[in-house]
Amino acid sequence: MDTIKLYFRSMGMLLKSQLQYPASFFMQTLAQLVMEGGEMLAVILIVDRFGQLGHWMPGDLFFFFGMMSVTFYMTEIFGRGVTGNFPSLVRTGQLDTLLLRPRGVLTQVLCSAIDPRRITCIAVGVTALIIGSNMSQVQWTVLKALALAESILLGMLLVLGLFLIEAVFCIHSVKSVELVNAITYGGRSACQYPIDIFPRPLRVLFTVIAPFALTLHVPAAYILSKPLYGWPDWTAFVTPLAGAVLFGIMYLVFQKAMQFYRSTGS
Amino acid sequence: MKAYLSVFRMRWRMELQYRGAVVGGIICQVFFGLILIALYRALYQTRPQAMPIESVTTYVWLQQAFFRMLLASDGDLLDKIRTGSIAYDLCRPLQLYGYYYVRIMAQKLVGSLMRATPMLVFASLLPKGWGIQAPVSLAAFLVALMGLLLGLLCVCALENITMAFTMRTLDSRGVQAMLNLLMMTLSGNILPLTLFPDSWQKVITLLPYAQLLDAPIRLYSGQWPLTEAPRVLLTQCVWTLLLIGLGLLLWRQNQKRLIIQGG
Repeated sequence: MDTIKLYFRSMGMLLKSQLQYPASFFMQTLAQLVMEGGEMLAVILIVDRFGQLGHWMPGDLFFFFGMMSVTFYMTEIFGRGVTGNFPSLVRTGQLDTLLLRPRGVLTQVLCSAIDPRRITCIAVGVTALIIGSNMSQVQWTVLKALALAESILLGMLLVLGLFLIEAVFCIHSVKSVELVNAITYGGRSACQYPIDIFPRPLRVLFTVIAPFALTLHVPAAYILSKPLYGWPDWTAFVTPLAGAVLFGIMYLVFQKAMQFYRSTGS
Repeated sequence: MKAYLSVFRMRWRMELQYRGAVVGGIICQVFFGLILIALYRALYQTRPQAMPIESVTTYVWLQQAFFRMLLASDGDLLDKIRTGSIAYDLCRPLQLYGYYYVRIMAQKLVGSLMRATPMLVFASLLPKGWGIQAPVSLAAFLVALMGLLLGLLCVCALENITMAFTMRTLDSRGVQAMLNLLMMTLSGNILPLTLFPDSWQKVITLLPYAQLLDAPIRLYSGQWPLTEAPRVLLTQCVWTLLLIGLGLLLWRQNQKRLIIQGG
C-alpha cells in the first residue's frame, strides 16, 4: 500500500515539474495529438477505400484501433520509466543509485518518469472507441464494460511486460536493443487490426509470445458480439489474464537479470 | 565546392562506423514491412482494387527500405544550437546552409543505402504477392533512380527548413514532431499514397512530400508511364529549388538574429 502511495506521490511531483514549461508542454502534447491522429487517419482512409476487412465492419476496426491506442499509451504515460528511460539509466549508471535505496528497483524505475503528453493520444483512442461502438451499435451491458476495463488494465501489464524484455536485454548488453521494438511497437502496429486477418506465423506470435490477441482481441470481439474464432463468451474474461502471466514471468526474469547487473560506472 | 565535398566525405565515413547498430534496425524494418503487407493482403482479399497487390507490396518495400532517407536528422546541430557551440561553425569559411545541407545529405544517403541494399535483396527473394517486383523496364528504373536522387535533394532542403525553425525556438520537439508526422503521412510511409482516395491524388502528388519517395516509386512500378516522367522530374526540380530558396532565406535571417547561448 505504501508503495502505491509513493508511486502516486512521485507521479504528482513529476507532473508538476513537466508543467513548469507550459508552452513547450503544450506544443509537445499537440504534436502527440497530430501523431496519433495520423495513425487514425490511416484507418479512416483504409475504411474509405476498402469498406471492410474480412467480416469486420468499419465500426469494428475503429473499436480495435481504440482498444490498442488507449492500452498502449496508458502504459506509456504511467510506465515511462520502463518504456522509455530504462536504457539511459543503465548506460549512464544512474541505476546504481536505485540499488542503494530501500525499495525494489522496478518500483523506483516506475516512479522515475511520467509522460503526460500522451494524454492526447488517449483522447484519440477514446474517440475511436466511441465512434466504433456507435457505428457497430454495441449494446453495452455491465459485463461488457467490465470486460473492457479488464482488457485495458491487463493489456497495460502486457505492454509493460514486453518492454521489460528490452530492459533485460539492456541489463546484459548495456546498449538498447532495437530488435525488441519489433515485438512492442510492431505488436502495436499489427494488433490495432483484429488478429484473425493475419497469416498463421504472425497469429502465433501475437497469441502465444506477445499475447495481444488474448488480452485485447478476444474481449473486443466479445463486446462487438462477434466472438473471435466462435469462442464462448466466458473466454473474454479469462484469456486477458495472459497479459498478467506475461508480466509475472518477465518480472521474475527481470529480478534474475538484476543479479547479473554490472554497473557501467558513471 | 571542394570544401563541401570533404564535409560530405567526412560525414559519409562517420555514418559507416555504426554498422552493428544497423542490423537490428533492418530486421525491425523488415518485420514492419511484413506486417503491413499481411494487412494489405487481407484487405485485398475482401475487396480487390484496380491496382494489383504486387504494386502495393513493391511500394511498401521501397518505402521501408528508404525509410532512413525520410527520418534521419542531424542531432549534432540541435546540440550545437542548445550549447552555443554553433559559434565555431560560424567561424568556418563556408556557407552555413551549404555546410549542413551536405552533412545531412551524406547521413541520409549512407544511412539509407546501408539499410536498403540488404532489405531489397531480402524482399526480392520473397514469393510473388509478398516481395518486391522488378522495375517495369530498364528505362523506368533509370528514371526512378533519377527521381530518387532528386527526392534526396528535396528532403535535405526540407530538413534544413525544419532546422531553421529549431534555431528560432530552441526547444523544437513540438514543431519537429509535427513536421515529421506530415512527412510520414504525406510521403506515403504510413499508408501508400496510391491507396489514398482517388479524388485526393491530384493534390497530394503535387505536394513536396510526395516528391521524396512516392514519385520515384511510381516511376519504378510504372504507375506513371515514361511519357509522364519529364513532368514528374520537373515537379521535383521545381520543389527542390523552391525549398532550397526558402531555406536559404530562413537561415540567413536566423544568422542575423542569432544569439549564442552561453559559451
